[in-house]
Amino acid sequence: MSRILGVAAWFAGLLFFAPVAWMVLTSLHSEPDAATNPPSLAAPVTFDSYAEFFDSEPWPPLINSLSASVGSTVLVLLLAIPAAYALSIKKVEKWSDVLFFFLSTKMLPVVAGLLPIYLVAQYTGMLDNISFLVVLYTSMNLPIAVWLMRSFLAEVPGEILEAAALDGAGLVTTLRRVVAPVAMPGIAATSLICFIFSWNELLFARVLTGVVAGTAPVYLTGFVTSQGLFLAKVCAAAVVVSLPVLVAGFAAQDKLVQGLSLGAVK
Amino acid sequence: MTVVARRARGATSGAGRLAVALLSPTFVVLALVVGYPLVAALRESVFREGTDLDESGFVVEGARFVGVDNYASVFAGESAVRFWNAFSNTTVFTVITVSLEVVIGVGMALVMHHALCWRGVVRASILVPWAVPTAVSALLWRWIFQADGVANSIIGQQVLWTTEGWQAKFAIILADVWKTAPFVGLLVLAGLQIIPNDVYEAARVDGASPWRQFWRITLPLVKPALLVAVLFRVLDALRMFDLPYVLIGPRKASAETLSMLAFEEAASLRFGPAAAYATLLFVYVAVTALVFVRLLGADVIGAARERAAKR
Repeated sequence: MSRILGVAAWFAGLLFFAPVAWMVLTSLHSEPDAATNPPSLAAPVTFDSYAEFFDSEPWPPLINSLSASVGSTVLVLLLAIPAAYALSIKKVEKWSDVLFFFLSTKMLPVVAGLLPIYLVAQYTGMLDNISFLVVLYTSMNLPIAVWLMRSFLAEVPGEILEAAALDGAGLVTTLRRVVAPVAMPGIAATSLICFIFSWNELLFARVLTGVVAGTAPVYLTGFVTSQGLFLAKVCAAAVVVSLPVLVAGFAAQDKLVQGLSLGAVK
Repeated sequence: MTVVARRARGATSGAGRLAVALLSPTFVVLALVVGYPLVAALRESVFREGTDLDESGFVVEGARFVGVDNYASVFAGESAVRFWNAFSNTTVFTVITVSLEVVIGVGMALVMHHALCWRGVVRASILVPWAVPTAVSALLWRWIFQADGVANSIIGQQVLWTTEGWQAKFAIILADVWKTAPFVGLLVLAGLQIIPNDVYEAARVDGASPWRQFWRITLPLVKPALLVAVLFRVLDALRMFDLPYVLIGPRKASAETLSMLAFEEAASLRFGPAAAYATLLFVYVAVTALVFVRLLGADVIGAARERAAKR
């Protein structure tokens, strides 16, 4: 039984990675080799496509994306952790309405928000400005961050909060020294999710940014439009744009898997 | 500490004031950035753009108040067929993709949690499909599903994946599950961390099989995290837009979702009808979320603490 399951898991895993593996493989081939179907494994490896991609000045969009994603993730955490803490220390029936209000911001189709938000950006002179994207992404990620943090903070044992209160710890100290360490897996997961959502956001970035504040996905779609027929080059670009998320995932996974194992209560 | 003691402490007005103070910044940000577009969409949905004749025969330019006309025309004739088709597509995509993502995501979380070697790499690599920007992954799947693409050479058939029919739906569901199952997996993985090891040890001492441990311990304890993941996946899936748009293309009956309808109308500068579609979708999503939270309320909204207290 477990053997069959193991084989199935391996098969599923391979199938799962096949598209990405194909993308990486194609990015390492020369254009003529990349165009063969089915993709050939034996073709010589070359980094020409990467060299050409980096020649096309991809740094400003990559840096824009990095500042938008990191900035909004930090802001989200600063807002969501206290809010979620508030929702979990005081449990009243009405709070479910508060939580539902946070959800409501995820109900309007993104395409419907495009025009009004564009007009706001235009009116406030924030078009093509990274700070506007930071605020926008923060508000887009806040609902899920509050919900997630709340479900994780609800698991922080009451005893240690009480002990902290008895020792005279203030709010900031309690959050930083008591709550944060226990809720670390939740915080890690939440920040990773916010980072990925902001890094990959395309619709708003495409409408609200231009030459100055264009983000990596916007740059990538432009690159696809102009170089779409050159498979290897597009794949190389896609790999480069996806890499920061993987680095973030790798960095977060350590924090993600340490929780009550710290032995906070024992 | 007992539940009663917690309640008593939580009910003091000091904690209440603190809670309000901690919540208000989040409220302000959300109301400002999300409240306005909603009001704007609602307002837009009762106007209609374009040149028209008024009652006395004069030419009127610009937006005109039309009341519920935009909504009425959604449900009339041709557009009613199109609306209900998009409605059923949206519903089918949501139900199928989210159920598959839950099953696969939980599986992924267990693999990430129990990985014996190369833990960091295993955990990070499962996130790969989600890390690839949608713009690229949709393109990736379009290459895979094109007539002379990889999908056809594997199954040895000539299926025109991106044309009308079941195959377009299949392609969308496959690509969406592939992309977002890691999201569910990540959340469940984080949820798994709060299960103390001694619970499993006790179960093992009692001779519970792994299968039974999974159903009786793991699943109930990750339920809060899993439900949040499902809730947010449902909200996102109901508003699905870019994947079918890039993979299959606009104006294809088999793939058209409600978001795509709204986008198509807006792209042809019919802002009134576009806003009407958007508002209808908003109502659909809101009702779904409300039912979800009400049905599973105890698990989603709280009760985790009580459970922990009992444990």
